[in-house]
Amino acid sequence: MDATFINTMKDAAGVPFYPVVFQGLYVLTWALHAAFVLLALGSMGLSIYGSTQQKSDPYWKILTPHLIMTGKISISILIVLGVAPLLFTQVIYDSGWYVANTLSGAWVFIFIYALVIGYTMYYWYQYSNKKGSSSNTLIGIVSFAILVFCGVLMHNFAVEAISPTKWMDWYAPNGVVDNSGWNMHLDPLRLGFMVSLMIPVTGIFMQNYSRFLSTRKDFEPKYLEFVKKLGTKMAIIGLLISAALFTVWMQKENLLLHPLSLTTVVSVVILLLLAMGNKNSYLTTGVLVIVALLISGVRELIRYNIMSGIGYDLYGYHMNLEWETIAMFLLTFAILGFTGIAFILTMAWKVGKTEGVYTATEGSAVSRLANASLALFILWITVYFGWGMVALFKNTL
Amino acid sequence: MDMLGLYPLFYVPHFGSAWLMGLTGAIHIMASHTSVGAALLFAFLAHKAQKENRTDLYDYMKRYGMFLLIFSYVIGSITGPGIWYTATAASPRGISALIHNFVWVWATEWVFFVYEVLGVFALIYFMDKVDRKTHLKLTYTFAIASVGTLALIIGIISFMMWPGTEAYYTTGSASDAFFGINTFPHMFLRIGFMIMMSGIIGMIISSAMRKENKALSEELTQKMGWVSLLGGFVTVFFFMWYVNTLPLNAHTLLGMQKDAIVMNRIILAVLFSIYFSIAIIKPQWVTRTLAITMMFVIGIVGVWPGEKLRESMRKPWVAGQYVYSDQIIGRDVPGKGIKDETGRLSEKGLLKLDLWIPERLRTITPENKLEVGKLLTRIACSNCHSLEKDGVYRPLIPLAGPMGEAGIKDYMKNVIGTGSVAYMPKISLPDEEYDAMAAYIASQAK
Repeated sequence: MDATFINTMKDAAGVPFYPVVFQGLYVLTWALHAAFVLLALGSMGLSIYGSTQQKSDPYWKILTPHLIMTGKISISILIVLGVAPLLFTQVIYDSGWYVANTLSGAWVFIFIYALVIGYTMYYWYQYSNKKGSSSNTLIGIVSFAILVFCGVLMHNFAVEAISPTKWMDWYAPNGVVDNSGWNMHLDPLRLGFMVSLMIPVTGIFMQNYSRFLSTRKDFEPKYLEFVKKLGTKMAIIGLLISAALFTVWMQKENLLLHPLSLTTVVSVVILLLLAMGNKNSYLTTGVLVIVALLISGVRELIRYNIMSGIGYDLYGYHMNLEWETIAMFLLTFAILGFTGIAFILTMAWKVGKTEGVYTATEGSAVSRLANASLALFILWITVYFGWGMVALFKNTL
Repeated sequence: MDMLGLYPLFYVPHFGSAWLMGLTGAIHIMASHTSVGAALLFAFLAHKAQKENRTDLYDYMKRYGMFLLIFSYVIGSITGPGIWYTATAASPRGISALIHNFVWVWATEWVFFVYEVLGVFALIYFMDKVDRKTHLKLTYTFAIASVGTLALIIGIISFMMWPGTEAYYTTGSASDAFFGINTFPHMFLRIGFMIMMSGIIGMIISSAMRKENKALSEELTQKMGWVSLLGGFVTVFFFMWYVNTLPLNAHTLLGMQKDAIVMNRIILAVLFSIYFSIAIIKPQWVTRTLAITMMFVIGIVGVWPGEKLRESMRKPWVAGQYVYSDQIIGRDVPGKGIKDETGRLSEKGLLKLDLWIPERLRTITPENKLEVGKLLTRIACSNCHSLEKDGVYRPLIPLAGPMGEAGIKDYMKNVIGTGSVAYMPKISLPDEEYDAMAAYIASQAK
């Protein structure tokens, strides 16, 4: 695979904006996606342990269904957040993504339906846990195993996408073309590091859980202390494991002394100290977000180095600027998106803090955000139809 | 190196890789259309519940919502990207064309998706935890956000059929591509179907409530009957407009299957009109078993053939009438600087221009002729045809085999090679490549 080869696969339509912007958006949205992947797997894994303890331990009896619910919502969020990095990677690294998808086409198909089955089983797991069924742990384990398998498949696509020098050998080993789409290539170290992060992410989530509910009178302080301690323990042990794996991984990639890896290591140490002290878990979460962005940045650095190393000219991608749709995205994202999400999250915060029904009084933040969101959605759809009609009349009359 | 930016080929024996996309698409349509329709229905029910102080309607919405979480927000939200994944494996350059034209539209849709996913959990789980007025506002925004996801994807899938004017090709603008002549009829056709699906699913929920509250169950089944009837009418009305906005190649294919399509649609319209009428007149007759059965009927007899038809009608193109189903760019798009590749292909052939041909197969020899023919046939034909004798997806061998080797070559060179069939790509290749393909196809027919 040489430079001409890989540059020839760039889309003829070019990119609609500066590649570096897509690169930045990729790093940002992958970090968000990964955070929920890790929270989903971690809370689900811990809930399975909880499901074996809840009969004899009253604390686990409260915590287990909460962990299951956290996992359930996190899976939905990780799916929807995963759409964005998938989109941006296809714009600037189209060759890698499409080659990986075709080389592993059969796995692509299996991935989709395994995810459907795994997530549907998760609902079953929640239901059977609620009913106190004796088979709930088993259902949870099977669902967990399927979802982990989906993660392994996604890892396979990512590894293949950054292995351009091997593509031809994988597609046509010894010159014999294989169209079956059964390629599977893993990098256990990288995978192990990524999976290990579920422990500290879930630990820090539990610190937050304990802090958030501390103002509620219907939760016993001893229970919240139990969750906090468990969370702190998980965060510390998990961060130490992840840090060790990260170091070995960076050593293997010859990036250990790269400023980005060093910054990541320093941030992890700060995160570890914050998690150990657990003075303010919200601040710890803020640092966790920075660490997630740094890890996402390291992934991108590895990919960029590999691709540019064989002559892929990312920043020289032919560009056709698309102002109208860029404006649509930026305005929707920055104004409607932030207002709308702020509305739901503020409401969720208030509901979580309230025993009984939360009422948003006139002039409260929730009420104002609700009104603003509604107005913005109406405005958005009006502009959409207006724009469409103008474009259509311009081109047809 | 003067080559084409093609990708490795993924092929599923007997079915073809495009079939996987069709299956995923049909499942997704059921789930996603129900989701948008239900969002509109929820807005209507929440408004009614608030205005008339009908707390019983919240119970119904909650049950419906729980069903929706699995049906639309597990199956639907996974098969959505699933179409994307499987389409990528089947037609990488087709998807790439869409991504590189519409990335910002998709990114905008993503903002709506995030709102929808967070919104659906809030809508269902906060029903008893937040005041009714705030909940109603959430329901309204959720409905518009759901319609917004349709509004944003519809221009892209309509462009897959065609933009309908020359504007896009000249300007290269995503706006000209997105708002083509069949975007709005396509959108309202789907809104009709979404409303109908919300009613069909609504009947499953209402009929399941009979034991606990017979009167409410029957009232809601009746309402869902009206909702479905309204949706069905809107679907049929806009389908007629939609058909008139399709390109010539689509009409050619539609014409070939017209009788079967018309018969299928008449049977469905009659069957479902009877079903919806029963729901309105005799709601007690609509049992949960019947309601679930009818959901499968609309999926298997309505959506699956409908999706296959939409896939077929787009042929020979897969994106914007410039990317052929065999992944070759078949026309210039000056607005984007895109060049027609068929001329170069005709002169040099796939063996020289496809990046992914192993070196040992780039030159045809008597020893490798059949192997080369097999590979070329897969590259050129497998997006639309199964290549096995007993393949299920428009099997090529029974179609072409009877012509014999010379006949196959003649047909490929003088009919397909000149782009004379409205629904097949122009596959113009050097003589020796036709020879290899004809030899392979004929050998398989024996």
